[in-house]
Amino acid sequence: MSDPIQKEIVRSTPVGPIQIRSFCTPDEIQAYRFDEQFGTHAQYKSIYTKRETLEKHAAKKDANVVLALTENEQIVGFGVFSHPEADERWMELGPGVMMEVKAVEVSRSLRSWRIAGDLVRLMLTHPKIEQMIAYMVGYSWTWDLDGSGMTAQQYRNMLIRLFNPHGFIELQTNEPNICLKPENLFMARIGGEVSDRLRQDFKWLRFGVSP
Amino acid sequence: MRYPKECVLKECVEAVIRPLEPGDRPLMEAFYNRIPESDRWFMNYDVMDPAIMDRWFDAVEKGSVCSILALCEETVVGQGSLYLRGFGATSHVGRFRIVVLPEFRQMRLGTWLLLDLIQLAMDRGLEMLRADLVAGVEDGAIEAVQKFDFFKFAELKNYVKDIHGNRQDLVIMVKRLHKEWSDF
Repeated sequence: MSDPIQKEIVRSTPVGPIQIRSFCTPDEIQAYRFDEQFGTHAQYKSIYTKRETLEKHAAKKDANVVLALTENEQIVGFGVFSHPEADERWMELGPGVMMEVKAVEVSRSLRSWRIAGDLVRLMLTHPKIEQMIAYMVGYSWTWDLDGSGMTAQQYRNMLIRLFNPHGFIELQTNEPNICLKPENLFMARIGGEVSDRLRQDFKWLRFGVSP
Repeated sequence: MRYPKECVLKECVEAVIRPLEPGDRPLMEAFYNRIPESDRWFMNYDVMDPAIMDRWFDAVEKGSVCSILALCEETVVGQGSLYLRGFGATSHVGRFRIVVLPEFRQMRLGTWLLLDLIQLAMDRGLEMLRADLVAGVEDGAIEAVQKFDFFKFAELKNYVKDIHGNRQDLVIMVKRLHKEWSDF
């Protein structure tokens, strides 16, 4: 991928303006501080608890790590969009065809300020977005039900509302990890330039069958 | 929930799941005509009776029954129904029934319908789901629901009779619909 254009938006919050920035590089990330709230809570553990994990993702081909930053250059939210791991089912469509929204997380103190929506929007401003199938998996055991005060079903519906405006739709799959719990969620967005053949192959792949 | 939902069954057979609509009456009659009498025997109502069918569609209209269909082309090949009490001591419990055409059994269609019914039950804030299944007749269904954390809540020995008059055990399978995860 040629160097992607980094985009920035600013959202006003009670703690001051939050800058949301796409395609952050490992070097950039290294210069920021990680909010202490991305850690282990009584009933919830953040998806990533170390800044280094974000750096590793940012170094991957095509990846888009989006950060939400305070004026003091503290990371208060992050989104990670990158290719699936080599051993995952979704690699079977071929290299580069699918990309996963691996994480969207906002510090507990800054939720309800639409930062998650901004993170998703900037993650998907990817130069190859129309040539790929973007997807997200919601495993209910990773959700911060305690911090959000929601039930698993309410949280699931919140995720659907978060991703729907960006062209993601809920789809069925028999992928074993997703099927472990009925409240788990699989959503995907098929780019406008994805061929009919790939669309059909994606359908077979979702159900683990081959014609 | 988003409908219609596409699903692919074994052998790449494609089906679409969507809610029952008022105009589906002819499709439903055709569907139940293809369900063996020995299977219909174990249903709570005689679905071949037009008056029963009327009441069923009314219940769907009023919201006391949520019913979803699985279609291949224009043919109904499966149906799942969630029955809601809506009042009183068991209003937190939903009951369900899934019926699939014989030639579409063992193709995971029942599982897709069950997943949707669980979602519907959770959307409605139910706390438990219950299915009454006949041992020796619906063993496949008993095994399938156990994979979704249903457990044997009670077993009524020699409680029902099959179409030939032979006594069978009725197994009450229940799933608790937790609102969140435990701390363990």
